[in-house]
Amino acid sequence: MNDLHGILFAYRSDSNLGELTRPRNTCSLPFGGRYRLIDFMLSNYVNSGITDVGVIVHESYQSLLDHLGSGKDWDLSRKHGGLRILPPFGYAERGDGDYRGNMDALAGVAGYLNNIRQEYVIMGWGDLAVNLPVAEVLERHLETGADVTMVCTPTLKSSPRFSEYVEVSGDGRVTDLSIHPTAADKALESLEIYILSKQLLLDMVDYCAAHDVHSFSRGVLQPRLKSLRLVPYVHQGYVGRFQSVSDYFRRSMDLLDPAVRDDLFNPDRPIRTKDQSNPSTYYGPNAVSNSSLVADGCFIEGEVTNSILSRGVIVEAGAKVSNSVLMQGTVVKAGASLSYVISDKNVQINENRILTGHSTYPLAIAKNSIV
Amino acid sequence: MKKEVVAMLLAGGQGSRLYALTSHVAKPAVPFGGKYRIIDFPLSNCVNSGIDTVGVLTQYRPLELNSYIGNGQPWDLDRSDGGVHILPPYMREGEQGTWYKGTANAIYQNIGFLDLYDPDYVVILSGDHIYKMDYADMVALHKKTDAACTISVLEVTMEEATRFGIMNVDGDDRIYEFEEKPKQPKSNLASMGIYVFTWSKLRQYLIADEADPTSSNDFGKNIIPNMLNAGEKLMAYRFHGYWKDVGTINSLWDANMDMLAPHSGIDLYDPDWPIYARSPIRPPHVTGPNAKLSHALVTGGCRVDGTVENSVLFHSVTVEEGADVQYSILMPGAVVKAGAQVSYAILAENAVVERNACVGSAPSGDPDWGIAVVASDVTVGEGAVVPPSAMIREDVKGGEQG
Repeated sequence: MNDLHGILFAYRSDSNLGELTRPRNTCSLPFGGRYRLIDFMLSNYVNSGITDVGVIVHESYQSLLDHLGSGKDWDLSRKHGGLRILPPFGYAERGDGDYRGNMDALAGVAGYLNNIRQEYVIMGWGDLAVNLPVAEVLERHLETGADVTMVCTPTLKSSPRFSEYVEVSGDGRVTDLSIHPTAADKALESLEIYILSKQLLLDMVDYCAAHDVHSFSRGVLQPRLKSLRLVPYVHQGYVGRFQSVSDYFRRSMDLLDPAVRDDLFNPDRPIRTKDQSNPSTYYGPNAVSNSSLVADGCFIEGEVTNSILSRGVIVEAGAKVSNSVLMQGTVVKAGASLSYVISDKNVQINENRILTGHSTYPLAIAKNSIV
Repeated sequence: MKKEVVAMLLAGGQGSRLYALTSHVAKPAVPFGGKYRIIDFPLSNCVNSGIDTVGVLTQYRPLELNSYIGNGQPWDLDRSDGGVHILPPYMREGEQGTWYKGTANAIYQNIGFLDLYDPDYVVILSGDHIYKMDYADMVALHKKTDAACTISVLEVTMEEATRFGIMNVDGDDRIYEFEEKPKQPKSNLASMGIYVFTWSKLRQYLIADEADPTSSNDFGKNIIPNMLNAGEKLMAYRFHGYWKDVGTINSLWDANMDMLAPHSGIDLYDPDWPIYARSPIRPPHVTGPNAKLSHALVTGGCRVDGTVENSVLFHSVTVEEGADVQYSILMPGAVVKAGAQVSYAILAENAVVERNACVGSAPSGDPDWGIAVVASDVTVGEGAVVPPSAMIREDVKGGEQG
């Protein structure tokens, strides 16, 4: 499929994620043992045959750059097209600070948009855990003759004050859009993933720049509900959104459900990530590992239950880890005990420390900390 | 462009003593150690030693090996100058050309390739050993001693020496004699099949060897003795560390078991000398509520809900609840269903052991006992029994003895 161009917004840094997003933006949040959140949408794009992807970044994108590199792990390292990282240099003339909204971000890369060689564009956020059949979404977009196709989920998960909801008429057209209401008032939650033609997008970006409109949903879709034909694509599969530390914890624990894993890690549409050449995980003679998801390169001599372990985690003999998420390089020393803990990269838990959070309020430990 | 050192990796051998495991792939492509294939070791050693130009000589069943190596990207060998090159035998004008007749002939047929890079030194490697070695250190000795050829040697016991090619050396480790499998060894320095040659010298000897119709065109049998007879300077390079030939079922099983002893053999976790591999795209492995894992290697995509002890699981292996796996090697995609027992066995890629079947058994003292092997894509039916030492190449029906 060469008619679709991929754009990923990768500048959101949710402050409710606390310690987890201090060193990075939400898109580069580690998830599922070996992934970063951006791997999901990026893989969805690539698995649908998209060859050209622009990733719009703003601040704290160092870890994202390290992760994406030239794009070769997604087969996006190409002479013609491929992966383009788009920093906010075109935005400087407009002044200071963050993008106020995604139309601002698109205006910031207007030159890039003009050079898109595909007829259609898909744009969305890079911080969702979802295995979306993008090729099917495009097919539906062409079938329905929509101006804009919006991907929605019927399983509401997010906090309403950060979410958007759509109402659909009998003929399958979006008739109302509520943005950040106090309560989820409609049956479909928008994932803020859109397909539209390149030409329509360019017109919208022009209009918004000229009228100082900076939000796509509030500034473009809402006022034009009658004139634009908006059609939802309802994705029935799993969707993980990350708007708080407890969201992150719950979405991680979702992965221990085989049905969620089968959906998210569908082998026909594999989620690709940066290859790190880790060896296999080693379990020692007295190791215990139950109901857990464990990445390669771990060294486990203690007990692990109901947990997610990223690459290169060490659990020493006599240590106990339960209901926890341990990111890359976490070391749990002998005799330590963790329960309802999220440890960021390279955290070290020293001998006999006992750390306990709660399922609704997990204890998050900042990157590189020594406890 | 000129390169100081080019490595040539002999990867054409069938590995017939691995029987069913090499019926579809060349020996260097046989999976090893949970994450790897045998060829990852010499290839990673090359890159870690600073050698960026490697010719891989293929002949027997090369397709899987070719696609595994691909453009060399997992080993950082996707270079615009140098990199990894697959070198099969080829035809020449006038319908001329042959298969590689021997190790020396394989290099002879690729003189043209080497001339492209005009190297000072050529490192000859084989694709059937597990070890970590800094070839740069060996080349440094070669340069310092101004040798024509340097051969890497391992100190073995005098008993073992009767099974190896043995180098007899003087006080400076200069080789004065080479003996293939001597009955009465004079030294315990076994050749590891790793050579550094000064290319201009080797080139001469290869051409002379090719002109000799009685030669078997082999490094050990012909080139090395010829160089010694001609008075060339041949040096022994003493290697210390883990080195294992994995050319037989027993040695392959044994070397895999070594990987379970992270501090006794070879350290795969050492960040200063990583072994690279082309990794398939798989999620992390999952352990179920009933999983019992002890002294085991487990790789991405595995699902384990049974018992796994003293075993190596490659990617995407399934061990169901109630299954029992002991002292075994389960290659990518192997499945052991509920209630099945697998003991002292090798299950090749995508082999399936159905419910309550039994493959292999613990050593019994019987002289005929050995590791049981189930070939790739073979199914052992429900309740079937595969005895030790068996080599199963075709499906075994339920309830039968394989």
